[in-house]
Amino acid sequence: MAREDEYDYLFKVVLIGDSGVGKSNLLSRFTRNEFNLESKSTIGVEFATRSIQVDKKTIKAQIWDTAGQERYRAITSAYYRGAVGALLVYDISKHNTYENVERWLKELRDHADSNIVISLVGNKSDLRHLRSVPSDEAKSFSEKNGVSFIETSALDSTNVEQAFHTILTEIYRIVSQRQIQDHIGPISPNPPIHLPPTDPDFKSRQNTTCCS
Amino acid sequence: MSKKKDQEKFTEYSINTDDAWEIDDNTMSLNILDSNFNDNSEICKQTNAEVPPRTANQQQSSTVVLDSSAVRKPTDVNSSTYPGIIRRVDDNQNLKASLSVRYTNNSNPNSFSTANITRSNLATIVDVDQPKQNKFKEIFDQSTIDLEKLRKTSWNGITKQYRAQAWKLLCGYLPPKVERREDTLTRKRDEYWSYVSQYYHTRTDKEHQDTFRQIHIDIPRMSPLMAIFQQVVVQELFERILFIWAIRHPASGYVQGINDLLLPFFAVFLAEFINNDVDIEHFNIDSLSESNRRIIEADSYWATSYLLEGIQDNYTFAQPGIQYKVRTLEELIKRIDEPLYRHLKNQNIEFLQFAFRWMNNLLMRELPVRCTIRLWDTYLAEQDGFSHFHLYICAAFLIRFSKDLLREKDFHGLLLLLQNLPTQSWTSNDISILTAEAYQLKVMFANAPRHLSNS
Repeated sequence: MAREDEYDYLFKVVLIGDSGVGKSNLLSRFTRNEFNLESKSTIGVEFATRSIQVDKKTIKAQIWDTAGQERYRAITSAYYRGAVGALLVYDISKHNTYENVERWLKELRDHADSNIVISLVGNKSDLRHLRSVPSDEAKSFSEKNGVSFIETSALDSTNVEQAFHTILTEIYRIVSQRQIQDHIGPISPNPPIHLPPTDPDFKSRQNTTCCS
Repeated sequence: MSKKKDQEKFTEYSINTDDAWEIDDNTMSLNILDSNFNDNSEICKQTNAEVPPRTANQQQSSTVVLDSSAVRKPTDVNSSTYPGIIRRVDDNQNLKASLSVRYTNNSNPNSFSTANITRSNLATIVDVDQPKQNKFKEIFDQSTIDLEKLRKTSWNGITKQYRAQAWKLLCGYLPPKVERREDTLTRKRDEYWSYVSQYYHTRTDKEHQDTFRQIHIDIPRMSPLMAIFQQVVVQELFERILFIWAIRHPASGYVQGINDLLLPFFAVFLAEFINNDVDIEHFNIDSLSESNRRIIEADSYWATSYLLEGIQDNYTFAQPGIQYKVRTLEELIKRIDEPLYRHLKNQNIEFLQFAFRWMNNLLMRELPVRCTIRLWDTYLAEQDGFSHFHLYICAAFLIRFSKDLLREKDFHGLLLLLQNLPTQSWTSNDISILTAEAYQLKVMFANAPRHLSNS
């Protein structure tokens, strides 16, 4: 059986933010429970998936990890198309990566769907002694901009599950709400943003998802 | 150019690349020729009609190649009867092993991480091919190097002993005349170091600090490629070279990935100073004298500059060189492996999603470093190897995994496989096959550019 049939919803989520803030490690921690202190820089975009359960529904997250360097912007922004969620990551120990958050928000406004769900993620929370971005400051910034906020550590796993679950659940609520309301979803042909629930009798085969 | 000479040329080529056909594996080698020339007889006819008879050489090579019987396919795997080809028995075993670990549906492609490899990245650089060694010795014994001869011999792989010298010659950095070398090298090395004293201090200036910050973030992250990057002296050497190159080339500046391209030059030029039996990856760079380190650094700078000169549009704004090459690759695959092309399209795979990295990093992220070094022997020997021949290498590389890809039935499985193609156990033999297959493609298509445009 093709894997395409093994989920109820497919959500495309992008990971964006400055170079070196830990986007790839957040992704590998979430999809494979792996962390590399020195992982290769991402070139262009890289891709991974993982499925989670919400309300007894299987949600498959298709996560696009993007290169942080400015020069790649022209290429990577094409991947915002069709994304229903974005994790905007900065490094709590590097203030300049936080200062650039506004520019990243603008990127999303310019290139992504206007309904995209955004979450601000302060990564490397394990580096307490090097913190240069106070949690309160980032929290009030996120409230002002109407996005959610969480601090994570891909290194020690703190809140990584939480960060992905929160955004996926929020997307799920919006999408299922909308489905009840008007019976249609924002379908983009390539790739699909989400699929309507499959046959309820069909049992998802958890153990065959490629990234669990 | 006389026909006779061309015939000799081709014979020489076919002998040089005989090792590619020696491996009798049904899944690879000549399947391009065997299957597609039959299927696409229309295209072949068109090719012949369209190729203008510019030089006898081009005509000769395309007609010869169209007749697949002209390419010998030896049946004896252990045969060492071809001049220049002696393979150790354990090499063949390696090859068998590498073929048996091809991707299957059951394995998780994510587990293919270079970090898992215990074998040294550079192990197979040590090459004990004696006839080849003699060929190079003959070339290098001359007081003026015959560059054309060097190109031909290098195309099929350079022995470790001569690689650094050969690369420097093929880059146009080292003069072919022995008596001119010392002066030229001294001048070029001094020039690099004068750039360093002139510019390197500007890395903290407002206009350059972003560039330097990016380089500084990226270099330590090269350790998964090669352990030697854990050494601060090596990191600083790379930072200097890349920063100097970036500010002297403002049209592109530093783009992530360029750092990878410096690595093969550095590794090869460093190896020249190390005894054969010492592992480069774990070599303590501090054990080299400072003057030798300065030589390696300056030479690496100039060689990398030469390479980047030919592919600079890969790194300018919006990376037009890469976009063009990815589109061309797509056209190529459409022509040579239509079932694979259709399969990828049906699953909504876009070539940019995987091939961007192939172009941006010249396949360095897809191959072990030892294989990249072998591949660059060919790239440096080819005219426009990095900018043009690379395209055919990418096409041959993709269709090598055609069967595995056709087995993947959805977008996710396909893209995960495409991003993690299993090459960890590849040896220089795999690269020899790849270069031979790419050469076939080049002959098929390069002289008929309209094939790629009138889709």
